Amino acid sequence: MTDNTISFYIIDPHKNEQERADVAKLLAQCDLDFENTVEIFVVGRQNGQLAACAGLDGNIVKCVATSPDWRGESLSLRLMGEMAHVAYELGRHHLFLFTRPYNVEAFQGCGFYLLAEVSDQCALMENTPFGIRNYCQSLARLRKDGQKIGGIVVNANPFTYGHQYLIRTAASQCDWLHLFVVAEDASFISYRDRFALVQEGVKGIPNLTLHPGSQYMVSRATFPDYFFKDKGMVGECCTAIDLLLFRNYIAPALGVTHRFVGTEPFCPTTRKYNDDMKQWLQTEPTRGSPITVVEIPRTAVDGTPVSASQVRRLLADRDLEALTKLVPESTLALLKNKYMPAA
Amino acid sequence: MKIVKEALAGTLESSDLLVKVAPSPTDTLEVMVQSEVIRQFGEQINKVVRETLEKMGVTAGQILVDDKGALDCAIRARLQAAVLRGADCNKIEWSRLS
Amino acid sequence: MKLRRSMLFVPGANASMLSTVFIYKPDSIMFDLEDAVSLREKDSARLLVFHALQNPAYKDIETVVRINPLNTEYGLLDLEAAVRGGVDIVRLPKTDRPEDVHELEAHVERIEKECGREVGSTKLMAAVESASGVINAVAIATASKRMVGIALAGFDYVMDMQTERGDGTELFYARCAVLHAARYAGIDAFDVVYGDVNNEEGFLKEVDLIKKLGFNGKSLVNPRQIDLLHNAYAPTEEEVEHSKRVVAAAEQAERDGLGVVSLNGKMIDAPIVNHAIRVLQKAQASGVRK
Repeated sequence: MTDNTISFYIIDPHKNEQERADVAKLLAQCDLDFENTVEIFVVGRQNGQLAACAGLDGNIVKCVATSPDWRGESLSLRLMGEMAHVAYELGRHHLFLFTRPYNVEAFQGCGFYLLAEVSDQCALMENTPFGIRNYCQSLARLRKDGQKIGGIVVNANPFTYGHQYLIRTAASQCDWLHLFVVAEDASFISYRDRFALVQEGVKGIPNLTLHPGSQYMVSRATFPDYFFKDKGMVGECCTAIDLLLFRNYIAPALGVTHRFVGTEPFCPTTRKYNDDMKQWLQTEPTRGSPITVVEIPRTAVDGTPVSASQVRRLLADRDLEALTKLVPESTLALLKNKYMPAA
Repeated sequence: MKIVKEALAGTLESSDLLVKVAPSPTDTLEVMVQSEVIRQFGEQINKVVRETLEKMGVTAGQILVDDKGALDCAIRARLQAAVLRGADCNKIEWSRLS
Repeated sequence: MKLRRSMLFVPGANASMLSTVFIYKPDSIMFDLEDAVSLREKDSARLLVFHALQNPAYKDIETVVRINPLNTEYGLLDLEAAVRGGVDIVRLPKTDRPEDVHELEAHVERIEKECGREVGSTKLMAAVESASGVINAVAIATASKRMVGIALAGFDYVMDMQTERGDGTELFYARCAVLHAARYAGIDAFDVVYGDVNNEEGFLKEVDLIKKLGFNGKSLVNPRQIDLLHNAYAPTEEEVEHSKRVVAAAEQAERDGLGVVSLNGKMIDAPIVNHAIRVLQKAQASGVRK
């Protein structure tokens, strides 16, 4: 007695052009983009015809498509089961998946669990019901009593006087402040270095807990780069997912009542994120209680607001004198030793 | 038997099940069963899962069962395979598996 | 006399097939842990088969487990699972020499003792898949009291012979050698699988050939082939009628305490009576040929 005649195997889309072309064609049929960041595709073929594909980019499953000639539950179940095994063999046990809300039910049947959903736009799922719950339980152990509990998420790429001012001001307004450093290693300065600089820079603040970031907060999972054809929607949908995770899971676990953020004079992405914060943390009706968003005006040096992007520009120009005014000593030392471009 | 790493066994195909096991961060045993037939057979599936784990001496771990209408014998087999993989165990005690 | 016309292969890693395959009622079901199971699934498939063997649905059907060769890291564990699970027959692949059977037998006996199973209750079957296996077929077929059958496996054999599957010419010697070894040893002989499941005509042609040669049956890969095979092996109405008369005459002779059986004035010897019993057995199992 033989197995179903579809055979599944994995391909490297960057090495196998024929397979890549077929996958791109199938994705296009399903109104999905071929994403270059996908390292591995699981593909299913019958009699040489590509019937299904699913991509893996880090621990994010994307580019999942089944041929319209084949669509039926059993094919996607086989595909996603195969993907689970492939990912586990690579040591990637914790998987995330972005999809449209109307696909949520289908992926629930494939072992994924809904984390957050923005009506008619997008949904984020993970492959375990224990994932976010384990994370929230570990956060809850660090919970502090108080009326006003603050939360800040910084990338600190790198840590500047601007961050220091924001954190100190927020701490002075709260009973306790929970500070998170974005964990995703996709920035100019490595996560290790960014975390160490923040740690050094917030020394002496008595009512503060410094947390490592997680995949549930400003990560590649909560902010996928390109998912939908209509690129304009990307920002909208994904800030919402990220903020809903904070509001519905992270804030309740720690009892966070206020989220602090610096005003953003330069970067449109960050400015949009600040604006979205007010909607998704405060206004939008959802499960978690509303969180008050507090915007703190950016500190300025010589009349110019301090920002990390400005610091990176000055670093590229090797302008140490200007940098000295914008970053604490520890940041300056690290930048000089490790990140300064050669003259 | 102690689960020391994440492991997976089975498939999502009809009459099968996918089992994921992981070490427990709190050293407790947590079992979650999802099934298309949970209303009719949820109790029975849970019973088979608990008995199988008990027999293998699994007292801690996060066990996730995604059932697609599998027979009891398939549930036992997949669960045992996932636990043995997650326990990184090469020595099989057959009496604990039957 | 156990009828073994159809031996249906089931991939050991497929839970769905393992849970339903008994409904097709082949003479024997062979759970495959060898070629049909990917390396990744060897452990999981072994456990599936171990538990499927204990499923009451398989109580009334002969079960066979094809284990991996004992010189692989999987073989011995497969054997433990099969014997402890209560399998009827262990099928050893790639049997080249009688020593392969001796080694298997020693392990089977040890496991039977360890798990409290009656010693000798696990039967064996060897598949020969090489020139060496075919040359040693007699020694292999007679290597153990537990042996109930010998099977020819065509895929590896034709490669070993530097040829390929065709109209059967390529298997001619091997089929005859395996069959003679089986008859000499008093055990069953099984022919190769016919892989092209959509070619009914080709399948029936091959079945016709191996039936004429004298094979007990064939390994099958698709349930659709079961009825085709059983029908081809079914006797005709006339054969059944004749056999009934032969058996009736033999029974009458026994009741009368006569050492000689005669029908219509002609003497009938024991092989004819045995043949008639087999004909009736096949007719009872799947009717007369349509």
